[in-house]
Order: sequence, then C-alpha cells, then structure tokens
Amino acid sequence: MMEASKAYHPLPQPEELTNKEKDDAMGGYLMMFAALAVGLPLPIINLIASIVYYYTNKTNSRFVRFHTYQAMISQLPLTLLNAICVAWALRIFVATSWYITPEFTGYAMMLAVANLVYIIFGIISAIKASKGRMYYYWIFGRMAYEKVFTIRPEIVPQPATNQPPRI
Amino acid sequence: MFIMLFCNLWATILAFISWWIILFTGRYPQTFFDYQVKMLRWSIRLNARIYNLVDGYPAFMPSGSDDLTQLEVTYPESLSRGTLLLRAFFGWLYILIPHGFILYFRTLWGLVLNFVAWWAILFTGRYPESMHVFQVETLRWGTRVSLYSKNMTDNYPPFNGREYGRE
Repeated sequence: MMEASKAYHPLPQPEELTNKEKDDAMGGYLMMFAALAVGLPLPIINLIASIVYYYTNKTNSRFVRFHTYQAMISQLPLTLLNAICVAWALRIFVATSWYITPEFTGYAMMLAVANLVYIIFGIISAIKASKGRMYYYWIFGRMAYEKVFTIRPEIVPQPATNQPPRI
Repeated sequence: MFIMLFCNLWATILAFISWWIILFTGRYPQTFFDYQVKMLRWSIRLNARIYNLVDGYPAFMPSGSDDLTQLEVTYPESLSRGTLLLRAFFGWLYILIPHGFILYFRTLWGLVLNFVAWWAILFTGRYPESMHVFQVETLRWGTRVSLYSKNMTDNYPPFNGREYGRE
C-alpha cells in the first residue's frame, strides 16, 4: 500500500524571523561547548545541555525547534563514541597503569577528527541559524525536518463509552 | 539551595556560550539574558529572606515572582566587544579587587548587623531602619557588580549601593 504524500508547513524565511528566534536557534548548536563551561571532560554534559535546551525551547517557533532538535539528535552518535573513549581510557588507567595500545591510539585519533568535524559543522550551522537560514545535516537534517515541519492530522478526541468487564 | 545549584549550573553554561556570542555578534541573546535576570531575582529574594529583610517564603525556581523585592534590568541592544575582552582578561584587576575588597568587608559587617537585627526583631518586631538600608544597599551593590561581571551591561558599577538617581 502506498503511503499518502505528506504535507509540510511552509519554511520560515529569514526576514520573517525575529532576532530572538535566530539567537535561540543558534544557541542549540553552541550547547556542544557546555562541558567546557562546566569544566568537566564528560561528553554526556553536552548532550544533557542539548536536551535541556531543546525542551526549554520546544514551545518556541518551528525554526527554533528544528535547529535545537537537529543539534540535539546529531550529538547522540558522537556522545556515544566519546563515552566509549572515556570508558576505554579509564579501563587502561585502572587495569594497565597507562599502557596505551595501538588500537586505543587509532580510536582516539579517529575520534579527535570526528570531534573536529562536528565542531566545524556546528559552528557553520550556528552562523546559518543566526542569519535565519536553514541548514541540514546528513540524515539528521531530514529527521529534524520531518519531525518539526510535517503537518499531522489533528487527533479528534473520541467520546468515552462505558464497556462491560472483559471475561 | 539544592534546586538553585542546578539552575546556577545552567546559568553558567548559558553565560559561557553568551560570552562567545557577544564576541562574534555584539549582542546578548535575549532568552539567555532573561534567564540570567530571573536567576538574579531568585538570588535577591532568597538573600532578602536569609537576612530577615522581608517576611514570607521565597518563591522557588527562576520563574517565581515576589512582591517585596524587585529587579529591573534593561536589555542592551548591543554590547561592546572591547569591554567584553577587557573584563575577561583584566576583570580581576578592576572589578574584583576594588569592588570585591569593599563588598567583602561590607558583607562581614552585614553579618554582624544581621545578628543584632535578629534580636531587635525578636523584641520589638521591627528591623532597625538604618541597618535595613545598609543590607539592601549591599545586596544592590553586589547585584550591580554581578550584572557587570556577567557581561549583562557595559555600565561600570558605582562604589555604593544607593538607588540610581539618589546617589
């Protein structure tokens, strides 16, 4: 069975957005520096900050919701990879007194590149958002767009009916 | 105080991110600014109760309101980036040393007065007016220093706690 074609809300244009909306959208991406602000090298802090920021801005305009949602979900894989690195490093420290294996070195280097790429894309998207522009990440951009801009049919509450007990 | 700790942690993250936003755009994001003002209001209404300056129990959360204490801060449309950098690198020299030094001794004296006032309230039911004024001015002075050091205004705080227009 073919899925009925989806309808989407129109995209807001830069001149229709207020400075407050643009700033709020930009803030979502900058949550990737939250761990730096707190001074703890725990990658989960960035994700928690992104989640808190998304939920505090959830009732804001679609433009803000799109950017904060995209910033939040795009942090998930990197946070997971960073958390693995922290756990691995702790294991090396506890079990082998800092005998660093080549596998760990390779993983850490790959992760450093991934973090750098994420920071670069984060800054680009923060600048775009501050100018009132849309910016779509690979995979996550589509997901965020679907989540925020899809027009959903209104759920009409059904009148409650009393039923006899189930046997 | 426990809830305030987490809210202050969030305020620290927002302040850190705001610093970078001001550096690049020259503007404090309004949502972040409003949150910081609410946190200051919460801190003032809590301190006012701790010092017995007003009766009643302070409302919880940044969104709480209070009829007995008030703080109005004008949102700055633009902030100086030069002042921002000056504060970051030399703030300790021209904010912390002069204001911090005086406020430290003022707070110590405030604690002594608070002890004396506690007995005065117990026996007379009134807070001695001159002591009350002193405590309020200390709070006001500290709040102005906070506003300046948190980059929420470019106006250097005066060396007194009197109301603007009554200096």
